[in-house]
Amino acid sequence: MNAVAAGHRRLPVGHEAGDRRPDWPWRRTSLALVASAAVVLPFTLPPYRLFQLTLVLVYTVALLGLDLVVGRSGRLSLGHGAFFGVGAYTSAVLIAQFGVPYPLTMPAAALATFGLGWAAGRPALRLRGLYLAMVTFAVAVVLPPLLKRLAGLTGGAMGLTVPAPEGLLGLDDDQWVYFLVLMVTAAAFAGMRGLAGSRPGRALTALREHPAAAETLGIRAATHMTAAFAWSAMYAGVAGALYTWTAGFVSPDSFTLALSITLLAGVVIGGLGTLAGPVLGAFAVLAVPAVAQEFDPAAPGIVSGLLLLLIVYVAPAGLAGLLRRTLWGLLRRRA
Amino acid sequence: MAGPLPEGRFPLSWFPSGPLGALLEVRGLTMRFGGLTALAGVDLDVGEGELVGLIGPNGAGKSTLLDCLTRRCSPQEGSMRLGGQELGGLPPHQVAGYGIARTFQNAALFPGLSVRENVMVGAHRHGRAGFWGAALGRTAAEERGLGEQADALLETFGLSAYADHPPTALPYGLTKRIEIARALAAGPRLLLLDEPAGGLAPGEVPAFAQLIARLHRERGLTIIVVEHHMEFVLALCRRIVCLELGHKIADGPAQAVRNDPAVISACLGVVR
Repeated sequence: MNAVAAGHRRLPVGHEAGDRRPDWPWRRTSLALVASAAVVLPFTLPPYRLFQLTLVLVYTVALLGLDLVVGRSGRLSLGHGAFFGVGAYTSAVLIAQFGVPYPLTMPAAALATFGLGWAAGRPALRLRGLYLAMVTFAVAVVLPPLLKRLAGLTGGAMGLTVPAPEGLLGLDDDQWVYFLVLMVTAAAFAGMRGLAGSRPGRALTALREHPAAAETLGIRAATHMTAAFAWSAMYAGVAGALYTWTAGFVSPDSFTLALSITLLAGVVIGGLGTLAGPVLGAFAVLAVPAVAQEFDPAAPGIVSGLLLLLIVYVAPAGLAGLLRRTLWGLLRRRA
Repeated sequence: MAGPLPEGRFPLSWFPSGPLGALLEVRGLTMRFGGLTALAGVDLDVGEGELVGLIGPNGAGKSTLLDCLTRRCSPQEGSMRLGGQELGGLPPHQVAGYGIARTFQNAALFPGLSVRENVMVGAHRHGRAGFWGAALGRTAAEERGLGEQADALLETFGLSAYADHPPTALPYGLTKRIEIARALAAGPRLLLLDEPAGGLAPGEVPAFAQLIARLHRERGLTIIVVEHHMEFVLALCRRIVCLELGHKIADGPAQAVRNDPAVISACLGVVR
């Protein structure tokens, strides 16, 4: 008989056991490289590529938010395209119809979508299962016709054109917008990092993985889930406002159910419940089809579909999981 | 207890312990699932600082009793009082605030969190950080405090080496300890252990009993242990309560209950 086996048995240690201590030794160097690339790129890329890169950042913000619901809370939202749309239209209507200075439209979009997310999530999150998916599906379906109907405010099916924010500090308009979006993305990323790594983030993970145990420890499911959903909707709304600044044009058909599904695909491709996932996912759903387009008009659909299949079968933890595994492999080879 | 007390939440210290110094008073607790009566009018008093073993064959209602106390089940009849405060009608997430913590039969840890984070979730109710504070990064001090508390608990349980591991890769005996550490992080007055020795290798059982005995001794905790493993309960508890088919059939000193003919016939095949 082997008394208190744990002391004697050889346990898997470190990476074998899935040790999650920060294992990438060049964290700061990598971060500095990414940061300098982000600063240099707008001066080297042609305007069209810069526009695409800005959109990737915009999507990153939306995916960071969506991941809070799908990745961390384990619920399904089919309505984030609509929250994105509400944010975009809040910004566009305020700028185009009321002449509000564009920086002020972002908090307005955030507030509107936070409230909408709270209202939609509060009743649905009390119920388990797919109810949230159904409620958000309803939001996604209702929004485009509603926007067309309120033509006096939203410009109807024709949409609204918004003047681009004027470049400051000697930057071109599109460079200026890029840096604005970059700053908001960085703040959104830092915010999500803080959320994920502290009390609310742990509570969400606990509720997702073992609701009974989590409640017994004093975690109130309805409150945390609703707050997470409202925050998630707010991220999508902020992304929507950034989209308006970037694209300078909104129309109801940009924010259909297809956008919600695209965002959902992005968050899965990127890797659920990770911080790198939304960034990689945004690249995957925007850059991959854009590049494929240049080879053949039919390519974007085929390439996106294949990528999705490949991820599901080869890298179920998404691109973030794949990246992590590759980095580990490199580290182990050095060691 | 003098006179009716106003409704509402009060600090527990306002209430003297109930009659005879009982921390937990359960009266006439009845829980039916459809046509099945899991608990049929169970009475149970547990004094402050007592360590009580709760035994009985499968389906006796032991886990149902714990589920009622932690409000995962709503009993049809009866009352449950902790330090004079009625628990009936509370939502489950408030039970921790009243000083009850529990473990589950199958070590209900959170696989997506590290061992340290699991214990930190246990201290959830002692934290204040909300979404805004966390997103704005104003939680460093609180995080440090919770982390230090968790590390201290992990050290007590000999788990420091695994603090950063996910709990899934660890042997079962360790996950059971982590779960107790997590329950203790909630700062309970009453600790409910649901089959702590279940699934342990035979060699691990005595050490585990010692660990629980030490917790009881050093922290003055009131503990109820639900267990099939008779030797474990006999080694650990001075008082044993036996349930059968929802009825309490024995309650008293361990040796007396162990030799009670009703208990022997009920737990036949368990008593060795």
